[in-house]
Amino acid sequence: MKGINQIVPPSMPPAPAKVSAQEGGKGFMEFLEQAVGEVNRSQMDSDRAIEQLQSGQSKNLHEVMISMEEADISLRLMVQMRNKLMDSYQEIMRMQV
Amino acid sequence: MDIFGSMKISSSALAAQRSRLNVVSSNLANAETTRTPEGGPYRKRDVIFRSAPMGFDGVLEQAVQGVEVAEIRTNPSPPKLVHDPSHPDADAQGNVALPNINLLEEMVDLTSASRSYDANVTVIKSAKRMALKALEIGK
Repeated sequence: MKGINQIVPPSMPPAPAKVSAQEGGKGFMEFLEQAVGEVNRSQMDSDRAIEQLQSGQSKNLHEVMISMEEADISLRLMVQMRNKLMDSYQEIMRMQV
Repeated sequence: MDIFGSMKISSSALAAQRSRLNVVSSNLANAETTRTPEGGPYRKRDVIFRSAPMGFDGVLEQAVQGVEVAEIRTNPSPPKLVHDPSHPDADAQGNVALPNINLLEEMVDLTSASRSYDANVTVIKSAKRMALKALEIGK
């Protein structure tokens, strides 16, 4: 769980790169970046919480569990967004010109 | 994200109930303690809760509140006097002042804290289930 950044690039880039190049969709890129950043941050938070619990700095088991849940839900949300994105990309690629 | 708001509130409640559990365990552990640093027998401690704003914006700010421990109060009721002349802490009449702790009350408090903890965990689970259900819309 060392941050999403390493996992994301292989699957993500094709769609946004095409979109921004052809349509100048800068807003969309920013939005995507922000979303990935958000998910990454929650993963890091959960990482840090687990670390603190293990090293005895934090004594709040429930807070650690909740931050893990948060990270889990944001990750699922991101995966759903990615699926939608790939769907629309593939739909466009299938289009006859 | 707002779905995590209810988790934050429940989390504050879990922390509060855990301090209550700590106080109950302290009361139970010291149910027969006759010597304390401040002198005299141990006095029963009570947890006082207070609602706490959780930093939401707009209309939720005043309406939706978490909970926090306001103070841990020493119960003012008098100590129990038990006649036991052989006890080293007995006074001239042979009476020992024992803590003002009722085991039954403490057990009820313990059960109540535990149930309340369960309830708040259920709220968190429910919030999570709702979030996951919302993600299913896209499937």
